[in-house]
Amino acid sequence: MSSISCRNLCRTFHQGDEVITGLDHVDLDIEEGEFVCLSGPSGSGKTTLLNAMGGLDTPDEGEITVGKYRVDKLSKNELAEMRLHDIGFVFQAYNLIPVLSAIENVEFVMQVQGIAAADRGARARAILAEVGLQGLEDRRPGDMSGGQQQRVAVARAIVNQPALVLADEPTANLDTRSAAQFMDLFVALNRQHGITFVISTHDTRVMAYARRLIRMRDGRIVADEQQEPHGMAV
Amino acid sequence: MKRGSLSVVSTLAWRNLWRNHRRTLIMLLAIAIGVWAMIFMAALMRGMTDEMMRNGLNNLPGEVQIHQANYRDDPSVANSMAPPAGELARELARPPVAAWAARVRVPAVVASERDSRGVTLLGVDPASERAIGSLPGDIQEGRFLEDEHDRGLVIGRKLASRLETALGKRVVLMSQDPQNDIADRGVRVVGIYRARLEGTEDQFVYAGRAAVQEMLGIGDRVSEVAVTAHDYRAVDRWYPQLAAAVGQGLEVAPWTELDSFLASYLSVQDGFSLVFMVVVFLVLSFGLVNTLAMAVFERVREIGLMQALGMPPSLILGQLLLESLYLLGLGLALGNLLALASIRPLESGIDISAVAQGMEMMGMGTTLYPALALTDMAMSTAVVIVLGLLASLLPAWRAARLEPVTALNTTM
Amino acid sequence: MSVTWRLAWRNLWRHSRRTWLTVGAMVFCNVLLIFLISLQLGSYQMMIDNSLATYSGHIQIQQRGYLEDQQMRQTVPAVARLAAGVRSVLGVETVSARGLAFALASSEQRSFGVLLNGVQPEFEPAVSTLPGLVRQGRYLAPGDRGQIVIGAVLARNLKVGLGEELTFLGSGRDGSFSAGVATVVGILESGMDEIDRSVAQVPLSWFQETFSMGDHGHSVVIRVPDLDRVPEAVQTLQGMLPAGESLEVLDWNALQPGLRQAITSDLASAWFTYVVLIVLVAFSVLNTQLMSVLERTREFGVMLSLGMRPGQLARLVGMETLLMAALGLGLGVLLGALLTQYLSAVGFAYPGMDELGAKFNMPGRMYPEVSLLSLFWGPAVVVLGALLAAIYPALRLFRLAPVEAMRAA
Repeated sequence: MSSISCRNLCRTFHQGDEVITGLDHVDLDIEEGEFVCLSGPSGSGKTTLLNAMGGLDTPDEGEITVGKYRVDKLSKNELAEMRLHDIGFVFQAYNLIPVLSAIENVEFVMQVQGIAAADRGARARAILAEVGLQGLEDRRPGDMSGGQQQRVAVARAIVNQPALVLADEPTANLDTRSAAQFMDLFVALNRQHGITFVISTHDTRVMAYARRLIRMRDGRIVADEQQEPHGMAV
Repeated sequence: MKRGSLSVVSTLAWRNLWRNHRRTLIMLLAIAIGVWAMIFMAALMRGMTDEMMRNGLNNLPGEVQIHQANYRDDPSVANSMAPPAGELARELARPPVAAWAARVRVPAVVASERDSRGVTLLGVDPASERAIGSLPGDIQEGRFLEDEHDRGLVIGRKLASRLETALGKRVVLMSQDPQNDIADRGVRVVGIYRARLEGTEDQFVYAGRAAVQEMLGIGDRVSEVAVTAHDYRAVDRWYPQLAAAVGQGLEVAPWTELDSFLASYLSVQDGFSLVFMVVVFLVLSFGLVNTLAMAVFERVREIGLMQALGMPPSLILGQLLLESLYLLGLGLALGNLLALASIRPLESGIDISAVAQGMEMMGMGTTLYPALALTDMAMSTAVVIVLGLLASLLPAWRAARLEPVTALNTTM
Repeated sequence: MSVTWRLAWRNLWRHSRRTWLTVGAMVFCNVLLIFLISLQLGSYQMMIDNSLATYSGHIQIQQRGYLEDQQMRQTVPAVARLAAGVRSVLGVETVSARGLAFALASSEQRSFGVLLNGVQPEFEPAVSTLPGLVRQGRYLAPGDRGQIVIGAVLARNLKVGLGEELTFLGSGRDGSFSAGVATVVGILESGMDEIDRSVAQVPLSWFQETFSMGDHGHSVVIRVPDLDRVPEAVQTLQGMLPAGESLEVLDWNALQPGLRQAITSDLASAWFTYVVLIVLVAFSVLNTQLMSVLERTREFGVMLSLGMRPGQLARLVGMETLLMAALGLGLGVLLGALLTQYLSAVGFAYPGMDELGAKFNMPGRMYPEVSLLSLFWGPAVVVLGALLAAIYPALRLFRLAPVEAMRAA
């Protein structure tokens, strides 16, 4: 279901007179249940690739399939539907809706899906407990630390059991200790629920968790290797 | 839209509304003032219109009149009609007709020992005239006629002063009989009335109907039958029945035909209220669009996030429209309350005697009674909601069409 | 100084859409105000001119008390001579003498009470528009004696046509019985029932004879070329009134008090509209400027720490508002002028206006009057309102502490 296949993806951006290459003929396959890290310096195309997989951005050329979806062919509404049901997102920052409390942020996706209130509340509470935020359910984002906010974001990303979680620099604003806890959480979710993880990062501490490490540069994949995850020293 | 998504959208809309409470309060106040002005203006105009209609219809009188077919062109006693009988009488006894009065109405001359004036002589039956509400309300001196056989004369204050006559004095009443001979009779002034309008005081004198019929030698014939249903806006619904019931040689005319000035005034005023409301709203709409556009601008990143999380564009659009709807609804509630609070105390009348003669040109008295009408409140609500949502559509649409990636990467 | 202005100008365009919307509100409001005010001024002018031109003129000389009581014996002696004197004193030809008496007018078939008006055929057309409305036959001519011009409705009611005779019965100035016969030579039709029902004009000399008036009349009617010259003319006339007579000079305001009051009451409702519009625009400006101040808190913090004083920042906000308002004024006046100029050429009609207009002696089409006053009065107040609205946002700057401001998001 969550197997991803990218064929010949190209994407360029224009900034002033300059043409910036985001993706340059990228071919990539990711199987269900993989734990993949995209790494590379900033501007190497990893975020662009992630956005393309999530349907946030449409490539200029090429095909991209995520599970049953031909992502490059979907309408805005179909893309929204896909993200709502099958993909969880975690961003570097500004992950939460400021006017909603922690639990409301988690419930948000389920509410849009139309899940009944009672069911929703229970699931949101359970998942917040799972990410270690028991007791902070009613805090608004402004009253939480960066780490806590990112945990809420993860809770929201996984609450409706998506097949795929896309995370863009999820640890960039976290200290080492929080980052480690955070990655442990990802790994556990990957093992227990079989969720596919694709994480973009240039943080070596994060790469250490990956079983497959893809290196990018100037919009191309320059290395794609399997590795034994070794975690990080805390 | 699913129920869950509706509730999340309404929560978001409500909380977002209060994120920038200063801006929201200012906009709220502006809408409230606008709505207040709409309703206040409409109430003043409605009060003025009602007053004019009341005066106008009292002068006619009635909402429908029946005449001999030639009477309106040649208001002479020669063009008189028999009093209602048969089918017409039955039709006049049925609702919605509330009351009717048959009267003699002829041009006449009143002469005192000092001066004479041309007037309209009304030969009336006081009881039925009272039922259609056409009698002068304020008898300043003396009394009104007792019945249709009363041989006295009731004249206006202004006419009394012009003729230099007074209560109890005798005047000569002259008019033309059907043979074109002058019929005259000395009568005693038994009452002097005061009217809202000086022109009325100058124009109309009242005498008993039977007495006038006797003076003119016309038996029981009358000049006109005035009919009322006490609802001038509804006249078109019932007067055709009367028209069908009158016999040959008679004509039935509704007030809209009898006084085309009143009719066009009514439609102009109704139209003007709406124009005023729309204009006020248009001025408001710039602020409304501005507020909403700023709200979208400040929240571009958040909107991108919601899109990334799978919120479809329709819900983003709905959320912003709802936010606007909350704002409009609160403003409307506040504006209506303000209007209620400011108009209620004024309903007993605003003294406008300072401009009384100017108002008289328009057929008004010296007091303006603002009339708060549900239809005006409903109309302002409809204008604000419909045009408000239309104006909000543009910023909301832009928000819904944002590209998620661009939105997410926007730096503030 | 010029740097600050440049800064203020650039700041405006940081949120160009917001600025345009606010300017748009001002422009819309300004155009509306210009349109309404010039329409109003135009229609008042017309209302006054038309009402006075019909019959009453700008000034009348009457016996004291005649205006109120209109009694036969309240006369002006030697009325034609007085009128001639007025003509020479004021140096205008538009002066005419009149008499007014009640009479019972009878044709073969009908009788009506009418107010018979004795006029000078050679001068009446100069003071009143009624002579010009004769649709059948002709108006009175100098030398006419037993001739009469009547309104169309009156003619219909009396069932008389051109060339037919009317008999008049009334009482003379001394209370004696008076009678006369006149031939209908003209029928006038104004389209307004009230006028067409009441007009009955005969030559003054015949009138004086019939009603035992001697050389007396009831009024001298004066029309001046311009409304503004009325007070001056009134003063001159007061000086020339013959001594020993209790005559008085009445201006149009005394003759038709309803006119000014109708205008006053209309002005009151117009004021209400204007105030509402301006207040709403001021709110729009208040909102915009408050937003622009709040979102620049950090920037203002930096400026404060660079040594700018709060007063200077407040002035900057004031300048921004002024620039915005000036833009609104410029565009508003431009568009407003174009619109009203266009409408003053082709006219403007509102459905149903014709009937209402007739009541006030106004034509169905209205022609706005473009003048400096109508162009700038409204927009100037809008600028003032905008500046007032900027006070609150500007005052907030004085409560700003540099360090906190810089830390603000």
